[in-house]
Amino acid sequence: MKHTFSEEHARFLKKRRLRLCLIWSLRIGLLALLLGLWELVTACGWVDPFLMSSPSRIAKTIVTLYRENNLLYHVGVTLFETVVGFAIAVTLGCGIALLLWWSDTLRSVLEPYIVVLNALPKIALGPLIIIWCGTGSKAIIFMTVLVGIIVAILHMLSAFIATDKNKILLLRSMGARKTQILRKLVIPSSLAAFISMLKVAVGMAWIGSIMGEYIVSKAGLGYLIVYGGQVFKLDLVMSATFLLCALAAGMYFLVVLLEKILVKNAES
Amino acid sequence: MNKQILAFHDVSLIYHTVRGETTAAKNLTFSVGEGEFVAIIGPSGCGKTTLLSLAAGLLKPSAGEVESHGSFGYMLQKDELFPWRTIEKNIYLPLEIKRKNTAQNRAQARELAVKYGLGDFLQSYPPQLSGGMRQRAALIRTLASDPDILLLDEPFSALDYQTRLNVTSDVSGIIRGEGKTALLITHDISEAISLADRVLVLTKRPARVAFTHTMDFAQNDPLKRREAHGFSGWFEILWKELNE
Ligand SMILES: Nc1ncnc2c1ncn2[C@@H]1O[C@H](COP(=O)(O)OP(=O)(O)OP(=O)(O)O)[C@@H](O)[C@H]1O
Ligand SMILES: [Mg+2]
Repeated sequence: MKHTFSEEHARFLKKRRLRLCLIWSLRIGLLALLLGLWELVTACGWVDPFLMSSPSRIAKTIVTLYRENNLLYHVGVTLFETVVGFAIAVTLGCGIALLLWWSDTLRSVLEPYIVVLNALPKIALGPLIIIWCGTGSKAIIFMTVLVGIIVAILHMLSAFIATDKNKILLLRSMGARKTQILRKLVIPSSLAAFISMLKVAVGMAWIGSIMGEYIVSKAGLGYLIVYGGQVFKLDLVMSATFLLCALAAGMYFLVVLLEKILVKNAES
Repeated sequence: MNKQILAFHDVSLIYHTVRGETTAAKNLTFSVGEGEFVAIIGPSGCGKTTLLSLAAGLLKPSAGEVESHGSFGYMLQKDELFPWRTIEKNIYLPLEIKRKNTAQNRAQARELAVKYGLGDFLQSYPPQLSGGMRQRAALIRTLASDPDILLLDEPFSALDYQTRLNVTSDVSGIIRGEGKTALLITHDISEAISLADRVLVLTKRPARVAFTHTMDFAQNDPLKRREAHGFSGWFEILWKELNE
């Protein structure tokens, strides 16, 4: 569809575009400024690059890691653990939330357990997880699931329960069974909550996988960070942290992309 | 009178909550004949919505019996259209639920929508329509499964006054045009007088039928009725009875 706009509207659009450009320039400028300052203070020796590292040293470290220390392997391990843990937590979480929505009795019975599990700092279970799952990726995935699943359950359950009572009444007046209410109403109306849950769960998955690698590390970015800290190689710590930031941001943007696709589909 | 399509025999209903029990209806007795348009008015909180839930079989009476012959279509105060479905898909909803989603039934429902002015909006989403249009779509959705009796729970009260008069007139035209039986709940006296063949006045909670009146107008168009001679007379009578 092609529209012809009034002049005022064209001005409005132009103003918006300009503003967007401004925001992005400022964002990138701020990053450049911070990196530049960091480089400057370390290069001039105002702060000790041994303690602070510096952008150029991080870049060098990453290149070395890539050439000599199998960087991609470590990235792959962490990414695998995070993504698998995330997928399991989200799928299982949604499934359990559905069951709890379905049965009031089950929900009432399990409520105190969920509250306690939610409040419990999952890291306390570290030793148990090592004993049960060993020290490989399995343990870390388990930790990731543990951290993410409660959030997924609580988030989705509250969305399911918040389904408009009048719309349920309407469906019941049409003679709808519970499966139909679920399929036609509860699930579609929880789409927005599902996406916002995904965004939270991505963060939780990273917390879980890195926490897991801190306690049982053999490989992965979390392992590199812990190792770097132990041998006082701040360049390594900073480099791994930087890569972690990039990966986490990447995964978050994938979710945003998914949101765009889902919303578009829902509209057509 | 015509054949009875819905009848309440000494129906009582008690709600139980932890705090105590509320008797929402007590010894309710009335009936609705086929093709009749009955309006029920009553003070707020007296048990009107409860009465409709009983009629639709969504609630079981604590005592007494609800006798009904035919299928129901329920229309609520708000349109309750699903915002993620187009108007067309919204209208097909009862067909999907009742497993009557055949091409023929869909075509019938679509015809109904076109006949009553929704043709251009079939592919629109509910938020793109005005309140009046949405309520009209809600009525077409209610009619789509071809119910024998329409249960209307204050379907106009969420609309502004101007829209309300127009939509009331439209809806009345559609219901009478399709020859449907209707049971309308309202707390708007003028609405009841302008729409119904018969008006029942309920008491305060627990609801009981206090008075029954047959409207004696020459015409059925709500706007014309509002200008008719007897209108203000009926208004005074019902106003008094409602406040007794
Ligand atoms: N599910 C319920 N549990 C307990 N009490 C209820 C329930 N539903 C309604 N009630 C009570 O029963 C009484 C009648 O309610 P109902 O909704 O039928 O009244 P109403 O005439 O439709 O009210 P309104 O004019 O506000 O629409 C009210 O006092 C209400 O508080
Ligand atoms: Mg009510």
